[in-house]
Amino acid sequence: MSEKRVAPASGPTTPPRDVARLLTCVVARELRDGEVVAFGLNAELLLAAALLAQRLHAPNLRIRHGLRIERGHELSPSAWTEERASRSHEVIEYLEAHDAILDVANRSSPMRFCDVFFVGGMQIDREGSANLIGIRGKDGRMTIRGPGSIGTTSIGTLARHVILFSDEHTTRRLVETVDYVSVPGWRRRAAAGLEGGPSLCITPLAVLDFADGRMRLRSVHAHATEEDVRRRTGFPLPPGPVRTTPPPTPAEVEALSVVDPKGRLDTVDLCRDGGPR
Amino acid sequence: MTARAERVLSLKETAALVRDGMIVGLSGFSYQNPPMAIVRAIARRGVKNLTLVSGPTSGLETDLLIGAGCVRRVVTAGVVFERVAAVAPAFRRAAERGDLDVWECDECIWHLALKAAAWGMPHVLWRGGVGTSLPELNSDLKEVMEEGRRYLKVPPVQPDVVFLHAAEADPFGNVRVAREAYLGRTFSESALALACRGPVVATVERIVTNAEVAGSPERTIVRGALVVETPWGAHPGGVSGRYVPDLPHYREYAAAGAASLRGDPVPYARYLESHVYGTEGHDAYRRSIGAQRLDALRTSRA
Repeated sequence: MSEKRVAPASGPTTPPRDVARLLTCVVARELRDGEVVAFGLNAELLLAAALLAQRLHAPNLRIRHGLRIERGHELSPSAWTEERASRSHEVIEYLEAHDAILDVANRSSPMRFCDVFFVGGMQIDREGSANLIGIRGKDGRMTIRGPGSIGTTSIGTLARHVILFSDEHTTRRLVETVDYVSVPGWRRRAAAGLEGGPSLCITPLAVLDFADGRMRLRSVHAHATEEDVRRRTGFPLPPGPVRTTPPPTPAEVEALSVVDPKGRLDTVDLCRDGGPR
Repeated sequence: MTARAERVLSLKETAALVRDGMIVGLSGFSYQNPPMAIVRAIARRGVKNLTLVSGPTSGLETDLLIGAGCVRRVVTAGVVFERVAAVAPAFRRAAERGDLDVWECDECIWHLALKAAAWGMPHVLWRGGVGTSLPELNSDLKEVMEEGRRYLKVPPVQPDVVFLHAAEADPFGNVRVAREAYLGRTFSESALALACRGPVVATVERIVTNAEVAGSPERTIVRGALVVETPWGAHPGGVSGRYVPDLPHYREYAAAGAASLRGDPVPYARYLESHVYGTEGHDAYRRSIGAQRLDALRTSRA
């Protein structure tokens, strides 16, 4: 009989460097066989998760990463490192042109742009809207300029399945209402005649899902406490028993060592402790 | 029989195509293939009130022209340096001070605005972006009802002139990508060229013969361009299949820009002085960076 793994009790037990691996597993578990998953360039954790899912339960998952379709077996160097030589034609298929993103509007074609899309932002709100445009000051004017909506707006509106991913868990990131809307959440989508909304919000401390278009706690990671997560969220989360996020399984740990043999996940941009209070 | 006309010009001649108030298209994607040599030449001319159509997500080519005071408005889905800076510094500063108008769009809407221009359409209807802040932030991007559904009415965006940087071209203006691609092959060159009302200028790493280009037509991405041979013309950006971005240079630029945001304009002014105004032309710029540093950026397969 194999040794039984016991989920650790709440408390700061996971070494912070393992948070990236845990989140990789959390994301991988959401990806289904046969889907097309898309994300931007600076997204090694999401790429690792997609490669992990391919190894474990989704051999037919297609990975759309920036301008290419990834076919490698291990996490390649971050898009813009000096390790240029390790990218090869054998494992990468380029999109003919960037405007292939417009194909997101037809969800049914075998050449569709994507099924699953990950969205981040400067702010994410209670109903799952995301903002990459800017932050308003007290006078209502934009006082902090954000990067711009990048590829999020249309894909985040039209993709079949949207998952929010945040590299920090703070009251400045998770707010009651976003100052500007790059991607609409549940209520705004309903008002615009669009069905559904984002399914999850994954953070370094917790996994949140939606009930009646409002965010609630699905699970708290083992290295965080429910109290801390509630304090670091800029809106009330409904009460109720909260599970601990299942830790990586032995199969996931083994597959991760193949996907990330060089420990690149240790260096991804992620506030492992949730970020500034 | 008269000879076929060559379309080879100098950097100075093509920079002179840009005049105050023009709509200027700049190709590139993040760190990849930005037409930096021509951008520095435009900045040296000191033109004002440009509208830049760059991206769809743009980088240093856009930020440098903003920082040099040449830009009034940008049409782009974002100005970012990936991991080096989440928001490009001159873009952020100018937008926060109210010195820059931003046409808020995402990458799909950026492409659609160019397609509307290329196709001669008064607008294109698009369902992405309904329920967002984009219509509220852009007076010309209205939400409309069509057959019971809401759409954004995306207007055409038509550049007066387009600049791009690529691996090679022949003297007749056939521009092509490198055989060995790195992080992508094309970077919205044809999307901008097809929407453009005026000249398309390609700075290229080297000019090759028409016979070479004709030998592998699938590599040709733009035809009818004006061509300028400009080795290292994307530096500090990379060129797919030729060299990778000079990330330490980006970090130097980002640090200078961050100082401006904190209220210290000296490092950024110093950057412009040493890399833009203080170098007379592109050859002087290359010498200032140094052959050894540039050679170290070459992709190993090239």
